[in-house]
Amino acid sequence: MPALIVLMMLIAYPVTYTGILSVTNQQEEFVGLQNFRDVLRPRVTTQALWNTLWWVFGSIFFQVIFGVAAAILLNQKFRGRAVVRSIALIPWVVPGIVAATTWAWMFHTEFGIINYMLTGAGVLEEPIGWLITGNTVLPAMIAINVWKLFPFVAIMVLAGLQSIPQELFEAAKVDGASYWEEVRHIMLPQIRPVVTAVTLLLVIWALNAITIIYAITSGGPANKTLITPIQIFRLAFESSAFNQSAALAVMFFGIVMLIVFIYIKSLATESSEKS
Amino acid sequence: MTRKLKRTGLSAPLVYIGAFLLVAVCLFPFLWMGLSSIKQLNELYTIPPRWFPEMPTLANYQKVLFESRIPRYFLNSIVISVGSTGLALILAIFAANGFARFRFKGQAFWQTFILVGQLLPTAAIIVPLFITLKVLGLINTYWGLILVYMIITLPLSVWMLTSYFKAIPIELEEAAVIDGCSRVGILFRITLPLSLPGLVAVLVYAFITTWNEFIFALCFATDSTVKTLPIGLAEFSTEFNTDWGSVMAASMVMTIPIALLFLVFQKLFIGGLTAGATKG
Repeated sequence: MPALIVLMMLIAYPVTYTGILSVTNQQEEFVGLQNFRDVLRPRVTTQALWNTLWWVFGSIFFQVIFGVAAAILLNQKFRGRAVVRSIALIPWVVPGIVAATTWAWMFHTEFGIINYMLTGAGVLEEPIGWLITGNTVLPAMIAINVWKLFPFVAIMVLAGLQSIPQELFEAAKVDGASYWEEVRHIMLPQIRPVVTAVTLLLVIWALNAITIIYAITSGGPANKTLITPIQIFRLAFESSAFNQSAALAVMFFGIVMLIVFIYIKSLATESSEKS
Repeated sequence: MTRKLKRTGLSAPLVYIGAFLLVAVCLFPFLWMGLSSIKQLNELYTIPPRWFPEMPTLANYQKVLFESRIPRYFLNSIVISVGSTGLALILAIFAANGFARFRFKGQAFWQTFILVGQLLPTAAIIVPLFITLKVLGLINTYWGLILVYMIITLPLSVWMLTSYFKAIPIELEEAAVIDGCSRVGILFRITLPLSLPGLVAVLVYAFITTWNEFIFALCFATDSTVKTLPIGLAEFSTEFNTDWGSVMAASMVMTIPIALLFLVFQKLFIGGLTAGATKG
């Protein structure tokens, strides 16, 4: 199994190494939990954690809603459906950095098309500095992330919808169910397993998504978009505080694993209750 | 799927409005990207912004293609993406074959291990990887990035291929054994040809992922001889005075190959992806 050995080396080794880094100092002496204390003390760490929570939940909430809505729409038969489906996936395949730059340009305060359209339509009185105002910058980032990933949810849910046994719809039809009743009582319950699986992936992706935020704001302004992965990254590569960065990474990794574990566990009990 | 009863559905206008909205939302940024990329400087910076350029120009493209390092980065991107995709595919074939056809000790552990590999937060492995690569002298080399990208793409590739290989009836292979075919012979004469769609799906997945990757490239390729396209694009836009026309032109250059690749192979790609997910 050469593949496994390579994987082992390339995954297990870094993980172990991070662990070692997190409890030593730059002279490679053992310092116990010193790094953890150092990295937890500044207020910015807590702020980053809150930002991360907002980022993850905000992104996933809208990704799932729009994704499921798009999937239900694409499950309808209409002319040009194949084309629409292909187009809908394009945001997902383009590079994150392209999405970041293009949206940054669209969100531009003076020359951006978004401010122009919103002011033109009378939604806004005057242009908003989307990316430089503390209150709008994280929602703007979430919007970009939602745009980028809801197509993925849509395509997965669509596959789920298409595997629903036709008999269910026929039975509903016989019972005189309307379309919306079909959506509510057949489609939504049937796609739940897909949605739960996809949500887990989305959580992990959101926790890994450095590109969009880093490329547009690098965490600014005033740390309003600083999420923990970016903090880890900047500690290591901008402050050269490798050990503190490793300590933060260890904690972050622990929390991520905990979330994943709880999620999978609750899924397992849920499915065993059903059967 | 044959439908005996006519399905109830949304009314046609509603469907078309929905479809239109969906397409508009998905394509609008690209439209704006394209329009911006052919505008002259003074048309880019007007208040209020103008939709269509009065005097379309290719100057931005000229700047990107002939006066910047973008072509070099393009080449780097291709070398690295092709290299790591190829390597990942070869390793994934053997690993997936092992998972699908052999029973061995700790199989469940290894499969979980691979999934956990997929879950690893990028931020958590980037520092140790950086130090490892430095010790190996692989920072700023093609090999460094190729190896790193292989780590990212390998887990899901193995996962997807395993489900494809498992779907092949074992009787086919038994027949081949009776005919005197070796293990490796079976792999190349039966398993691989039969799972061609899966192979293509993995190939496209790995290529797109590596082509788009940003953070690892940012850390591990600091020299312009190995920098990839995403880094080049970021360089354009993080300079003090962002030249948005050129940035948009560079974005177009970067998007078009990947969009074409995706559109050509999308049936197989989506098939592979959803098969892996629904069969688990």
